[in-house]
Amino acid sequence: MRRSPISKLAACLMILAALATANAQTKFPRINFRQRMLANGLRVLSVVDKSSPTVAINVWYHVGSKDDPEQRSGFAHLFEHIMFKATRNMKDEMMDRLTEDVGGSNNAFTQDDVTVYFEIVPSNYLETLLWAEADRLSGLTVNEAAFHSERAVVEEEFRQSVLAPPYGKFFYLLDQKSFNAHPYKRPTIGSIEDLEAATLENVQKFHETYYRPDNATLLVVGDFDPKQLDAWVDKYFASIPKPNLPLPRVEAKEPPRTGEKRFVEYGKNVPLSAVGLTYLVPDERSDDAPALELTDIILSRGRSSRLYQSLVYQQQIAQSANANADLREDAGIFQLTAIIAAGKKPEDAEASLRAEIKKLQDAPVSAAELEKAKNQIITSQLRQLETNNGKALALGQAGVLRGDPNRVNSDLERLQAVTAADVQRVAKKYFTDENRYVIYYLPESARAPSGSENKNHPGNQSKGANAQ
Amino acid sequence: MKDTRIFKLGSFVLLPMAFLLLASCALAQTPQATPPPPAAPRSVQFPKPVDKTLPNGLRVIVVQRTQLPLVTAQVLIKSGGEVDPSDLAGAADMTASLLTRGTATRTATQIAEAVEALGGSIGSGGGWDASTITTSVMSSRIDPALAILSDVVRNPAFQDEEIERLRRQYLNNLRVALGTPGSIARFVAARVVFRDAPYGHPLSGTPESVPRLKRDDIVRLHGMYYRPDNVILVIGGDIAPKDGFALAEKYFGDWTRPATELPPFQVGTPVSDASTRRILVIDKPDAGQTAVLFARTGINRTSPDYFRGIVSNAILSGYSGRLNWEIRVKRGLSYGAGSSFDMRRWSGAFTASVQTKNESGAEVASLTVSEVSGLGTRDLPDSEMTTRKASLLGGFARGMETINGMVSQVSSLALYGVSLDEINRYVANVQAIKADEVKNFAATHLNTGNVIVVGDAKKFLPALQKEFPQVEVIPVAELDLNSASLRRQTSKN
Repeated sequence: MRRSPISKLAACLMILAALATANAQTKFPRINFRQRMLANGLRVLSVVDKSSPTVAINVWYHVGSKDDPEQRSGFAHLFEHIMFKATRNMKDEMMDRLTEDVGGSNNAFTQDDVTVYFEIVPSNYLETLLWAEADRLSGLTVNEAAFHSERAVVEEEFRQSVLAPPYGKFFYLLDQKSFNAHPYKRPTIGSIEDLEAATLENVQKFHETYYRPDNATLLVVGDFDPKQLDAWVDKYFASIPKPNLPLPRVEAKEPPRTGEKRFVEYGKNVPLSAVGLTYLVPDERSDDAPALELTDIILSRGRSSRLYQSLVYQQQIAQSANANADLREDAGIFQLTAIIAAGKKPEDAEASLRAEIKKLQDAPVSAAELEKAKNQIITSQLRQLETNNGKALALGQAGVLRGDPNRVNSDLERLQAVTAADVQRVAKKYFTDENRYVIYYLPESARAPSGSENKNHPGNQSKGANAQ
Repeated sequence: MKDTRIFKLGSFVLLPMAFLLLASCALAQTPQATPPPPAAPRSVQFPKPVDKTLPNGLRVIVVQRTQLPLVTAQVLIKSGGEVDPSDLAGAADMTASLLTRGTATRTATQIAEAVEALGGSIGSGGGWDASTITTSVMSSRIDPALAILSDVVRNPAFQDEEIERLRRQYLNNLRVALGTPGSIARFVAARVVFRDAPYGHPLSGTPESVPRLKRDDIVRLHGMYYRPDNVILVIGGDIAPKDGFALAEKYFGDWTRPATELPPFQVGTPVSDASTRRILVIDKPDAGQTAVLFARTGINRTSPDYFRGIVSNAILSGYSGRLNWEIRVKRGLSYGAGSSFDMRRWSGAFTASVQTKNESGAEVASLTVSEVSGLGTRDLPDSEMTTRKASLLGGFARGMETINGMVSQVSSLALYGVSLDEINRYVANVQAIKADEVKNFAATHLNTGNVIVVGDAKKFLPALQKEFPQVEVIPVAELDLNSASLRRQTSKN
């Protein structure tokens, strides 16, 4: 169904009204950032906040698990770990010496589209960390022993996230079954087999290809002097050359789904069965993204949410039920999942999830329900802004993944402008029968005794999507 | 929105930090080849909590921070799982969880609706020494949120229908927990360390105790412990102390203190020693990884050894702590190894935990024991003390940077009757601890302990038996969390 026609002026008034509602109650702070581009292509985004003597530093590299080399699923993430090993001027684990040892902290994460490194340190260490980030952007000198040892750590991470928890393999498979052509079908955590095949040569090649100033965004948020920051950035980053090599980008497009697909998977350790539904939806820059994000909240945020109320509370068919608008750079999936209560059938849980979808399509959500979801979003965004690193991550997502750092402020306005008709429209548009994939995750004991099916040992998975 | 991220180190929490500083190591001067040295540090002050006791005995603490328009309010009932009757494990936790599921005038759904419509959240549950009910909202909505907080604490309905619903949820959660090697190891460790004493059972009950809990048990527990002179209310965030006190008076001031005496705290727990040490394997052949736990009794929260204890733990735990360094960084045997002192009203437990592939279960068990028990005997250079203290202090400061972190820190001090000024003395107290004190403390409190290994036993048992001759093996199907023997006596299924 088409969106009901609203004049531009009416739409603007609605936005203002929505903001006024929020503003009447709270002073939602804007993030006042500054942007700089160096000649070598490095983008620098910074926000001054002197409320505590600390500073958060992020470096976002626009490379993620979708860029894993062929037969090397999990490589971008393994590489992320290797970035904490030796560089030209730093020994293995020196990043920990410069952060943890002085009361700071560091970590990094890999997603489908990006790899993000961050440090939170006392602000008098800002220059030290800029030096260190510039050094590992300039090159790695990791040796064979350190590489093998860290690869073993990542294999343990695979076991800890996929094999040990009862639903690790379910979520591992859910993503894997959701894409057909796009490399999103490969798991971010990879497989033991592909990790074992990775070499030090792959590491050098990956760094050379993707770790370059024109593929990086540096973020600094906290207690610093802007002029001083500019001088330090010039001193440590400006001399890093922009390579002449082309920067490869994933070209594959995920084709529209053309009919329902159903999968049944089994696990060795499944205390309660699980069901997942996925729908292919647009990428996170799409105009429909805010309505999908609100739909996620309406379905699953809190005990008054629709899925909790219907599957967990009233029907008691599920131990837990969740929705997730997992929107990525090139495409998104909208997931609905339920861990089934003891004695209940996955078929019934699937029917209940689908009934909730149909409710969204048949009638608009009430004004109160929409308002509630918007208030929940405002509160969670405020929580993110409690910390310098929270602000840096929000700004990085806007700048790198959503293509414009201004979206760190304007996305909230977009979310506030979503109408009940928008939520109904996207539900009708995307949650169709032909766009639905369904996965059942059952204990081995439920397997039909034909014996002809292939055993599906989790350790032997070589394809999949990103781990939870 | 809920993104999928894979971290360098797991269980990473997005806590920020504030800072304090220390000996800035003088680093060399060449601009490119060595890191530039730090500038002069800025000092930090944490907010000062203000407190007041209402005439009915309820203690109110307000801790103000105004950067963002958010408030968190937490009610602590100073009784938790430690008061569970021995055959009714889970009673206190279930009582607390039921509070938000219906009052005399609001249904479970109305409570959730009302708080979530404000953009907030409300939750409740049992800890060991306290039960907590917490709500977080934008500061403009704190009045209606406190109205609901007060209602759920004071007037819960404990309807049969809600009890049955929650009972099924608890049983389902237990099924999942008992399929997870790490959770099994923690349940077993509590029984091994505390045996049949109050901290020995799983906080949320066992598959046998949860079906036994009756409405009367819950009503009785609520009647005994939910009274104003057993309550602390902590309000933190964008709210002035006088406004917090006024709201506390408005919603809790007319709560009458019963004439009866508050039941005394139960007697403390037994202390394990070398003679009762157990090396226990729970054989779970379908485990995708093995969980290794070192566990022993710890110290009280009010022990004079508190700071020696947390500094000792900081030497062992954290990314560059000895456990993670030896097990993950040097040997690649795990995604992460760490330890903690859970310091309670009575001696809680010290635990070190690691997950590894089944094949390396024995190696990781002996490395864990060696690092923990070695703290009292091996060399401990001052340089290691300096960096590990810095890491500990940094974590504390980062925790204080969010309103929820600040409230939980204040709540914990108040619960155990520790002076609230400790927040601003924390840095000095940590810095005062010397290497010798850590070694002496560890020689007494970390010299030995129990080992629990949960995983596919055939892959590590022979190697483990070489290291530890006294290994007991319990197949997971025969595990009984209701008694210290941990083994089902009769059934052979």
